[in-house]
Amino acid sequence: MGRAVGIIGVGQTHHGRRTEMSYPDLVREAVVRVFDDAGLTPADIDGVVSGTMPSMMEGIALTHFYFADAMQAVGKPILKTETCGSTGVSIAQTAYYWVASGMADCVLAVGHEKMNEGNAQATMTTVVEPFYQRYFIAGAPGVFSMQSQMWADRYGIPEDKIRDAAAYISVTHHDSAFDNPYAHVKLRVSMDDVKNARLITYPVRLLDVCPTSDGACALIFASEEFIRKIGKKAAWVKGVGYRGEEYFFGDSDKGVWQSAVQSAKQAYDQAGITNPRKELDVAEVYNPFTFQEMLFYECFGFCGFGESPDLVLKGIFNRKGELPCDPSGGVLCTNPIGATGLIRVAETVLQVMGKAGDHQIPGAKLALSHAMGGVDQFNGVMIVGSEL
Amino acid sequence: MSKRVAIVSVAQNAGAESADNFYDQAYRVAREALDKAGLTREELGTVVTASSDIFHGGISCANSYYWETTGAFLKNASRQDGESLFAFFYGVMRILSGQYDTALVMALCKGSENPPNDACTLMFADPFYQRPVGLTETTAAALQMRLYMEKYGVTREQCAKVAVKNLDNARRNPYAHRKGDYTVEAVLNSGMLADPLTELEAAPKSEGMVALVLATEEKAKKLTDKPVWFKGYGSSLDAFFLGDRDLLNGQLGNAAARAYKMAGIGDPGKQIDLAEVTEPYAFQELMWYEDLGFCGRGEGGKFLDSGATAANGSLPVNVSGGVLANNPYVSRGLQRIVEATLQIRGEAGQRQVDKQVKTALAHGTHGFAGQCHAVAIIGS
Repeated sequence: MGRAVGIIGVGQTHHGRRTEMSYPDLVREAVVRVFDDAGLTPADIDGVVSGTMPSMMEGIALTHFYFADAMQAVGKPILKTETCGSTGVSIAQTAYYWVASGMADCVLAVGHEKMNEGNAQATMTTVVEPFYQRYFIAGAPGVFSMQSQMWADRYGIPEDKIRDAAAYISVTHHDSAFDNPYAHVKLRVSMDDVKNARLITYPVRLLDVCPTSDGACALIFASEEFIRKIGKKAAWVKGVGYRGEEYFFGDSDKGVWQSAVQSAKQAYDQAGITNPRKELDVAEVYNPFTFQEMLFYECFGFCGFGESPDLVLKGIFNRKGELPCDPSGGVLCTNPIGATGLIRVAETVLQVMGKAGDHQIPGAKLALSHAMGGVDQFNGVMIVGSEL
Repeated sequence: MSKRVAIVSVAQNAGAESADNFYDQAYRVAREALDKAGLTREELGTVVTASSDIFHGGISCANSYYWETTGAFLKNASRQDGESLFAFFYGVMRILSGQYDTALVMALCKGSENPPNDACTLMFADPFYQRPVGLTETTAAALQMRLYMEKYGVTREQCAKVAVKNLDNARRNPYAHRKGDYTVEAVLNSGMLADPLTELEAAPKSEGMVALVLATEEKAKKLTDKPVWFKGYGSSLDAFFLGDRDLLNGQLGNAAARAYKMAGIGDPGKQIDLAEVTEPYAFQELMWYEDLGFCGRGEGGKFLDSGATAANGSLPVNVSGGVLANNPYVSRGLQRIVEATLQIRGEAGQRQVDKQVKTALAHGTHGFAGQCHAVAIIGS
């Protein structure tokens, strides 16, 4: 695993429809907060990792140029990591490797998105090439709906059960968002509200889908030596996993989703985790769609394939359950895409440091964060713990 | 550095427009780099690629499109945007972390499927102030060139000579896109692009799939008898608004100082045997000589005139023809590493320099008037 690496600062914007400020100011809000949280100044930073979604969504290309000043990165070494929706976790992993390799002692990682100034679905349609796939994969919901159907069919999960379980996830996450001061959508919804919401792409309905958010997130990664020197508490990186698969949607099995299975396995192996449901205290799963969240539970080994809807309905994954998932309200309530994966990491850092406030899972010591991207193609996992 | 990282193989394609599709081009270069290293895809540890969506033929999330052509299927891999030396450094980092013993680093850019370079670089500008006035990499460079000439008395002829030298060097590089025996006069009369920059003083738009394999010291010794070692790296980013910056005192000095410190270089003019720099505009090569410490401030023109940077000079720069000869935007930084590696290994064919190259510098820049710079040092 190289040198031990810890995360010593978290800064998030208040995510939402931030029409009152410019995109660079939004980035600045997260960066100012991370320095406040870590008690450091930009002079302490050896390098900056920046990342976001494709230029079409930003309205500007190579965004590290535009945000150089807001990220306090002028005169600093810079890396620019982009892996589609999984960008956030890839940024975190880049910062991790920078410190683990010994090439830096203290690295700032910044992810950001001002989605209300762009067109996310139009951009995602251009991720697929113009010759074959673009005609029938318009935006994100189509892909994930097909995947949900494939999974339900594979394991013979009854339509009513899967619908109920997805609605349960929507209700509990929307409730959780009220306890997260940074969450975007705060809405009390009932099971019936979800099941009767406007259909987006069958079986996905409006309340099964994440919002369009403006937001940024910043974390500071540091070496063990640096952390000891400044005497800070840290969340220690225990495992990093990432996998990508074929570009053509039909080429790979999305029901037993290998990129998700193997990225989690790599992280578990590094962290020495053999029974994730028992050993993990909390998970921040990247869940832009309720149905897909259940598939992730299975790919990550929280339960067997086809079993998740029953366990969801038993409350195993809610905030008082055996393995609380997305106590922040998750992506379902907040999705500034380029920041979203990094927010998952940030939330696990807050949890293992005992700083998650009203959505704290008591005694959380080991936590999993995750992000997904591409044409249902990439999965990245990071595990942090309170102990080195 | 307690551990060492080596380049064990390199591969690149020619810069001229190719009838091959993106996948075939990318696959062949990735395959060649792996074959030369004697590695199967299964044995390969990790992959780091470089590409930019704005230079990717209108398809967003470039890495999504080409993932499996680079051998990254079900591997832990990642991607850097804008500058391929970022990907080189990230590959080095991944190996130094101890988690992987080999890495494929690859840059992908198919210029022939992209709009003109400046239609893309215009999108670097913010949409409120700089984009409406037409700020691009070329117009920003023209402003920088004018400043440089005014302040230091560097002449247009001296700037044009960079193009003469590099396009001539390119005649011995089978991968070069643009090449020829031009006179200073021909360069100055090649058509005004953005006053005072002429057509032949600005880089073309090229194809560029470039790959190399990195390995730990232990693994490298099994894979090659000519390892080229990673010695140092540095990068630095400048402020965004062009008017906020001192265009004659940018970030390259910073980036170079970091790389020199890591590589233990105190006197770059003496300790570096050969340099491959990214000079999308001819005059910039003169400025970079100064920032890299090859000569004094304002003396870039005289340094060129002295013949020091010619292919047979004391410190040859851009023997490959540089970026003026071959400009696959995102890939150009990694291409500099590949060319420097070939020179160190004595495998540069007709363009091999006479003297022995032990330590070489590769430089990459992207953004207006060099907003971002990266420098890598490699050696035998």
